[in-house]
Amino acid sequence: MNDTVLVLSIVSAIVAGTPILFATLGEILTERSGVMNLGVEGMMLIGGVTGFWAGVQTGNLWLALLAGGLAGAVLSGIHALLAISLRVNQIVSGLALVIVGGGLSAFWGNSGDAPLIQSFNGVRVEPLLPEALRDLPAVGPIVFGHDPVVYLSWLIVAAAGYFLYRTTPGLSLRAVGEDPAAADAAGLSVTGIRYLFTLVGGFGAGVGGAYLALVVLGTWQTGLTAGAGWIAVALVILAGWRPWLALLASYVFGALRTLGFTLQIAGVEVPSDFLNMIPFVVTFLVVIVVSANPERARRVGAPASLGEPYSREAR
Amino acid sequence: MSLRIGVEPRARPALPVRLGVPIASLAAAGLVGAVVIVISGANPLDAYQTMLDSSLKGWRPLTRTLVLATPLILTGLAAAVAFRMKVWNIGAEGQLYMGAIAAAGLAVALPSGTPKVLMLLVILVAGAVAGALWAGLAALPKAYFNTNEVITTLMLNFVALYFMNYLIFGSVSFWRDPQATFPQGKIIPEAALLPIISHRLHYGLLIALGAALVLWWSLRGTTWGFELRTIGDSPAASRYAGMSVRGKILSVLALSGALAGLAGAIEVSGVLKTLDPRAIATELGFTGIVVAAVARLNPLGVVPVAVLLGAVVASGTNLQTIGIEAEIVFLLQGLIFLFVASGEFFLSNRLVFSRPASAVGSA
Repeated sequence: MNDTVLVLSIVSAIVAGTPILFATLGEILTERSGVMNLGVEGMMLIGGVTGFWAGVQTGNLWLALLAGGLAGAVLSGIHALLAISLRVNQIVSGLALVIVGGGLSAFWGNSGDAPLIQSFNGVRVEPLLPEALRDLPAVGPIVFGHDPVVYLSWLIVAAAGYFLYRTTPGLSLRAVGEDPAAADAAGLSVTGIRYLFTLVGGFGAGVGGAYLALVVLGTWQTGLTAGAGWIAVALVILAGWRPWLALLASYVFGALRTLGFTLQIAGVEVPSDFLNMIPFVVTFLVVIVVSANPERARRVGAPASLGEPYSREAR
Repeated sequence: MSLRIGVEPRARPALPVRLGVPIASLAAAGLVGAVVIVISGANPLDAYQTMLDSSLKGWRPLTRTLVLATPLILTGLAAAVAFRMKVWNIGAEGQLYMGAIAAAGLAVALPSGTPKVLMLLVILVAGAVAGALWAGLAALPKAYFNTNEVITTLMLNFVALYFMNYLIFGSVSFWRDPQATFPQGKIIPEAALLPIISHRLHYGLLIALGAALVLWWSLRGTTWGFELRTIGDSPAASRYAGMSVRGKILSVLALSGALAGLAGAIEVSGVLKTLDPRAIATELGFTGIVVAAVARLNPLGVVPVAVLLGAVVASGTNLQTIGIEAEIVFLLQGLIFLFVASGEFFLSNRLVFSRPASAVGSA
C-alpha cells in the first residue's frame, strides 16, 4: 500500500514543502524582530545557485546547504544594512534583493566554461532510517522514509517554537518586534537583534533554495524557485508568525505544487497551466479571507512594529 | 583623536544633493557591476563601451532603446503613482499581461476592415481596462479589508502568467493560430498596428510621454493629486480631514493597473503583432518598479530613467557577442535599484562629523 496515490502524494508534498518551510521559518524569525524582508525569492535563488555550485564542487550535501545558507545570509545582510541602519523603506529594499538575487543567480548559473545550468550535481541523498522502518505500511514512507534534511527541519521547527516562547532570548526577540522602544529601555540592543535575525532569515531562505536545487529538482535552472519565495512570504502571514503552523502550511503548499504529479498518477487530466496557478490562487484567496475577519486578523497578530525602522532619536 | 559621526534629518535637500545622490548611486552600481564582470573574466570597460555603443550611439540603436523604454515609461508611471500613496502595487507585470491579452483578443475579433483610428482606440482602451480590472482584484480587498496588497498583486502576476501561457501553449484558444505548426498567437490585422515613426520606433512612445505629462500635472495641479500625496504621507490625518481613503485606494490601483495594461496593449500593437507570452514576459513590470524608484516617484523623472534602463536592456544581446552573459543586465538593474534605495537615506539625512568636546579640550 506504500505506492498508493495518497501515500505517494503526501511524500512528494513533504519533499516539495521542505524548501518553503526553511524559507518560511527564517522569515518568521526575521519578522518577529520587526524587520520585513520581502527578498525571500532573491535569497532562495542566490542560495540555490551557491548551494548547487558547492554541491558540484564538493559532492557533500551538508557543505552545499551551508554554502547556500551563507549566501542567503550575505544577501539579507544588505537588507539589514538598508532597512535597519539606513532606514530605507523595507518594501523597496526587499524588492531590490529579489532583483539582485535573481540577476546574480541567473548570471552566475550561465557564466563560465562549465555553466551550472547544464550540469548535474554529485550530491547523493540517502534516507536516514533503516529499511525495516521505511517499509512499514503508510507511516513508513510518510514518517520514516525521508532524507536527513527533512528530519533536521522538524527539529528546527521544534527548536524555533521552544526558542520563541520558552527562552529569554526568544522573549527578547519578540519584545524587539512588538515594542522596540520598551526593549531598548530595558537594555536590549534593538539594532543588534534585528541584524542577527535578518541574517538568520536569509540563512533559512538560502538553505531552502539550496535544498530545492540539490534535492527536490536535482538541477539548476534560471529562476528555479518560480515564486516559492513569495509563497513563503505569504505563508508567514497564514501561519500567524508561528513555527508549528508554518510546518503545516508549507506541506499544504507543497501538496498544491505537486498536485499535477498527484493527479497524473490518479489518471485525472487538468491543463498544467491551471495546476501551476493553484498555489497562487489559493494564497491570494486565503490572504483575503484572513484579513476579512478583523477579529481573527488581530488574534493572528503580526509583530506590532513590523516594517517600521527604529531610531532612538526619532522618539 | 576620535571623530564622531552623527546623523541628523534634513528638510528639503538642495538641488546639487538631489541630483548628486542619484548620480553617485548610479556610479556605485556601475562600479559593483564592473567588479562582477571582472570576476567573470571579462573587461568591464569593454562591456560598458559595448553597452553605450549598442544602445545610444547613432539613430538606429537609439530607436531600439526608445522602443524598449516605451513600456518602461508606462510601468514606471504605474509604480510611481501607486507608491506615491504608499500603495505597493507589485503587480504591474500581471496587469501588463492582461492588457496584452485583451488587446490581442479584440484586435483579432474585430472585423479587419475596421478603420485604423477606431481599431487602435478600442484595443488600447481595452488593454488599459483589462489592466485596471486585474489590479481591481487586489484593490477591492485592500480597500475593504486592508488586505496586504504586496502579496495579492504579486500572486496575481503568476495567475496572469499561467493564464497567458494557457491561451497560447496549453490550449487551442481563440488567441492561438490554429494553422501554425508550433504554438503561436494569431497575427493581428494591419489596422491594429501602431504607426511607425522611424525604423521600429512606433507612436506608442508619444502615448507614454503623454501619460507622463498628464500624470505629472494631475499629481501637482489637481485636488485628486493633492489628496493622493497627503494620504501617502499620513492616512490617519487624511481620513480625519474627510478624504475618502477607500476611494483613493480603488482609483489609484485602477489607474496604476490601467497604465500597466496600456503598456501591454502597446507592446502587442507596436512591437509583437501577436500575443507572444515568451516575448512579453521580460520583467517589464518589475523593471518599472526600479524605474519609479530611481526617478524618486516623479512622473517626469520616469521618462529619462526609463530611457536609461531601456538602454541597459537593449545592450544585453550585444554583450553576449563579447562573451558576457545577457543576464548581467538584470544584475545591473538590481544594483541600480539597491544603490538608489540607499541613496534615499542621504537625501533625507545628513552626516555630521564632530569631535567630542573632551577630545577638543585635550588637543
